[in-house]
Amino acid sequence: MVSNIAIFNSLLKGLAVTLQVLGYSVILALGLSFIFGFLSLSKWKIAKIASHLYIEIFRGTSLLVQLFWLYFSLPILGIQLPAMLVGVLGLGLNYGAYGAVVVKTSIQAVPKGQFEASVALNMSPFRRMRSVILPQAFVIMLPTFSNLTIELLKGTSLVSLVTLSDLTFQAMALRSATMETVKIFTILLILYFIVAYPITLAFRWLEKKLSVGRG
Amino acid sequence: MNEHVAGEPLVKYRNIGKRFGATEVLSDINFDIYPGEKVAMIGPSGSGKTTLARMLMTLEKPSKGTIEVGGELLWHRNVNGRLMEANASHLRKVRGQIGMVFQHFNLFPHMTILRNIMEAQVHVLGRTKQEAKEQAVKLLEKVGLADKCNAYPAQLSGGQQQRVAMARALVMKPKIMLFDEVTSALDPELVGEVLEVIREIAEEEEMAMLLITHEMAFARDIADRVVFMAEGQIIEQGPPKQIFNQPKHQRTMNFLSRFSAQSQSV
Repeated sequence: MVSNIAIFNSLLKGLAVTLQVLGYSVILALGLSFIFGFLSLSKWKIAKIASHLYIEIFRGTSLLVQLFWLYFSLPILGIQLPAMLVGVLGLGLNYGAYGAVVVKTSIQAVPKGQFEASVALNMSPFRRMRSVILPQAFVIMLPTFSNLTIELLKGTSLVSLVTLSDLTFQAMALRSATMETVKIFTILLILYFIVAYPITLAFRWLEKKLSVGRG
Repeated sequence: MNEHVAGEPLVKYRNIGKRFGATEVLSDINFDIYPGEKVAMIGPSGSGKTTLARMLMTLEKPSKGTIEVGGELLWHRNVNGRLMEANASHLRKVRGQIGMVFQHFNLFPHMTILRNIMEAQVHVLGRTKQEAKEQAVKLLEKVGLADKCNAYPAQLSGGQQQRVAMARALVMKPKIMLFDEVTSALDPELVGEVLEVIREIAEEEEMAMLLITHEMAFARDIADRVVFMAEGQIIEQGPPKQIFNQPKHQRTMNFLSRFSAQSQSV
């Protein structure tokens, strides 16, 4: 018989791994979102094509299969990556593709008059982006970024299938050891929610803070 | 015509044409604006007035012809006698002499009024924050909104927003300022306060002004020269008195009579 405390301890260990995967892949996804979002708005055709390819390939194939491919196929081609890196790469690349579309459409959603006013004030392209367009586009991005981050959190459970001992992995192991299916999966649900809800709250707070003064 | 019209023109439009797809909105425009001159441009909507101003602000590219500002080509560079398309840095250099106020104000909604007026001073003109703030406050006083420094645009009326937009453009000290139907989006009771500020600017500032407007009485009052446009062409131009009292062209007469009929019926 495994004690409740032991169950809880190994779930917490799994939670730590989940949070780590979440943290790293959010950073990677965010970086890729902005890089490929900007590339897709570039004047250069090559940049546009590169960004288009990236977005469509990673949106259009299954995240689970991407993870399998990175973990099981890549070693056969001679590149062996640790499970953690595979998890972060897979999630980051996949959600970065969705994020790139969000960045692109949010920038396009800023009214054209804002761009024109910044040209009339003779701002440099960098300054236009930095002072005028991005701060407004960022507020438009936030609700969708909030959704994507929570989606990503839930997506982290797939890394258990490439042997990473995250929250879901630990729960599955505990379940086969104890057969306390209801208890363990209930705790699992609650733990995911406990991570997800503060993410929602944080994004809401940020949105409110950044929308100051706008009626 | 008046005391301003002396020496070299500040702005020269030469053989300017513009088409959007199959529609020709401007055909072969030749037009000068002199330093310090206040020019009012009138005409039916769709006549190409706004396009003409937007080309000068580098927001719209001419399909043909050239524009010179302060003796320098705007959209082109002269490379060994051949006209080449100007690059971004050339556009930026020449554009610095031009300012614009828009129909829909286009204030930056995420910045306070003060920052709206400071941002380009600091990052384009390289003024210190302290200096930029002093200049901003000075101009806000001029447009009567010094108490709104820390408000956001959404908290202001349309008329107040437009006055802020004028302060924001003025603080850059352009040699020519474009006003593109700046009262057209305002509630009727707010038009007066904006016109009053423009009148003040016209009287006090040295810079040239190109004023696209449907406010005929106002145009007559403050302009040195009135230009009537229709269907992508300049039909006639001259001192306000001549254009409004003795227009030479039938089109001008028709346009003006429609306007006076309107203002009588109100």
